Amino acid sequence: MLKIQNLSKTYPNGTQALKNVSFDVKDGEFLVVIGLSGSGKSTLLRCINRLIEPTEGKIFWDDVDITAAPPAELRRIRRKIGMVFQQFNLVKRSSVMTNVLSGRLGYVNPWTSLLGIWAQEDKQRALQALDRVGIADKAYSRADALSGGQQQRVGIARALMQDPKLILADEPVASLDPVLSHSILQYLEGLNKEGITVICSLHFLDLVHRYATRVVALKDGVKVFEGSAKEIDRAKFKEIYGEEAQEVRAASL
Amino acid sequence: MPVSRIVRNTLITALVIAAFAVSYRVTEADFPRLFRDLPKGRELLTAFLTPDVFTRDVETRTVSIVFPIPCGSAPTEESLPSEGPRLVPSVLCAEPLEKFTLEGFDLQPNSEVVIRWRLPDGRTMTAIRTQTDANGHFSQEVQARPIQSTVDGVASRLEVDTLTPVGGLKPSQALKDVTDNMFVTIFMALLSTTLATVIAAPLSFLAASNITRKGVIGTFVYYLFRSFFNLMRSYDPLVMATVFGFWLSFGPFPGFLALTVVTIASLGKLFSEAVENIDPGPVEALQATGAPPLHTVRYGVVPQVVPDFISYIIYHWDINVRISTIIGFVGGGGIGYYLNLSINDFKWHQAGTAIWAIVIVVWAMDFLSSEIRKRLT
Ligand SMILES: Nc1ncnc2c1ncn2[C@@H]1O[C@H](COP(=O)(O)OP(=O)(O)OP(=O)(O)O)[C@@H](O)[C@H]1O
Ligand SMILES: [Mg+2]
Repeated sequence: MLKIQNLSKTYPNGTQALKNVSFDVKDGEFLVVIGLSGSGKSTLLRCINRLIEPTEGKIFWDDVDITAAPPAELRRIRRKIGMVFQQFNLVKRSSVMTNVLSGRLGYVNPWTSLLGIWAQEDKQRALQALDRVGIADKAYSRADALSGGQQQRVGIARALMQDPKLILADEPVASLDPVLSHSILQYLEGLNKEGITVICSLHFLDLVHRYATRVVALKDGVKVFEGSAKEIDRAKFKEIYGEEAQEVRAASL
Repeated sequence: MPVSRIVRNTLITALVIAAFAVSYRVTEADFPRLFRDLPKGRELLTAFLTPDVFTRDVETRTVSIVFPIPCGSAPTEESLPSEGPRLVPSVLCAEPLEKFTLEGFDLQPNSEVVIRWRLPDGRTMTAIRTQTDANGHFSQEVQARPIQSTVDGVASRLEVDTLTPVGGLKPSQALKDVTDNMFVTIFMALLSTTLATVIAAPLSFLAASNITRKGVIGTFVYYLFRSFFNLMRSYDPLVMATVFGFWLSFGPFPGFLALTVVTIASLGKLFSEAVENIDPGPVEALQATGAPPLHTVRYGVVPQVVPDFISYIIYHWDINVRISTIIGFVGGGGIGYYLNLSINDFKWHQAGTAIWAIVIVVWAMDFLSSEIRKRLT
């Protein structure tokens, strides 16, 4: 159970990206965060693993206060939270294998891994993770030799190496075409069915309807909606996306 | 408004002209001299353009006669031979500084001739050089240079060497020396670049804002190393080499040290900029996995900067070959030092060899480094 309480974030330049946001995420949920560009989705997700330090508020994960964790404990918490990025964030010049293995850095012997030496067991695990996302044959290619969809699958395999309980996915399919989007989200859905909680920000409402077990909507840093995707009617849509939002989108509801 | 602008522009123009006039005066610019002194320049240029690269073995044959100075201080040659390689002076003895004609007959034809004095104590003084004709004859005016050359009744002698090239071409001593010294320079540059890399690479991460500039201590470390690099970079390697030279006495070592220090600063700065220009995404992704900070750098930053680092190292090796050539000039050893010595001894052909070697090596390094850098991506 993840509890977000009165979370606020003000950037050093004065931008208030989150304003007093509170909600809970139960274990096993596929929670989708929606909102216009700039509404604070990325900020929210990054506050959860403290890639961004929240200004105010608390985040409890199974009653552990993430926001108060000292560095060593924070690393232990982060080990259990996988993260998938819109831009994949792979080390382009490294091999797919190295990228996937690096997801294990929170667990392995710090000295040998610093020298680039990995246990057979970890390599096995990496190959299994790659197999799971269907690209085991690419293990020894350079990451930038892969297509966008394949790179995102490497990103998921890297998160799998962490043996995560929670996956944060920040617009994981925004750089991909619709067909690839579904294939990536189906992997996340599969993991979710196995018990991993997923918090995912998405742009397209059709995807939200298809995958979300619950939805949180942000507007200008404020939570304006929380509920199931079905509850987002035309009026709610306008509230979330603004009056001038394209009628095409609204009509598709 | 327009008036004040005209005044201002006139003032600026006047200042600029004055500055140029002063610069012209202090540099003692005398462009006509470029043309007046042309003959001297041409001689030099010809010498440089005909480097001393190959030699042939030389067979030396010597003939000599007794030649007392002044007359009467010792007996003269009794009778001059009339056959075979022989010397015939116009006088058999001379007063100091008197001029006379020396002829040689039936010597080696078309050979270089060295005329010199051999003093009673065995030392020699070269008088003049000339050339024999096809019949092995030469005729040359000579001045009686040794003053009071007779010691204990033993007179000085006039000696003539004929130098005849024999056998095939082989690398000259100058070419060998130039090659040796060039290697000193290249390896001095290589070693200083290597040492500088080993030191600058880890330090550069400390001077990169995206790595260290967090918190009070981090910010302090960042500014410390950044200013260290900037400060060191502002010293000219030549000045540094001179300072080290006074301290450690001249030779390749102080030059090497100076080069290393300057390269540390320069590479440190270039490296830290490369680190600052990485894609922050992968680093964030690694932080999110719970990787320790050092591992985040090892797996997230290092792979991204390796090509840049290598490219800068090669580029610097190239630069350091040039700088160490110049450092040699101020006493740092290697090819620059050799060139300096050659010039000071007026050995122009030898200097020409050194200059050609420098041109070729610099060109080759430039070509090599750009080729290697092209291939790095
Ligand atoms: N590092 C930062 N410094 C200052 N302001 C920032 C920073 N990051 C984001 N912001 C601002 O905070 C607000 C929320 O940004 P955020 O990236 O969380 O939105 P988002 O919903 O993820 O948008 P998008 O859909 O474009 O990714 C925006 O107004 C943005 O300009
Ligand atoms: Mg975002």
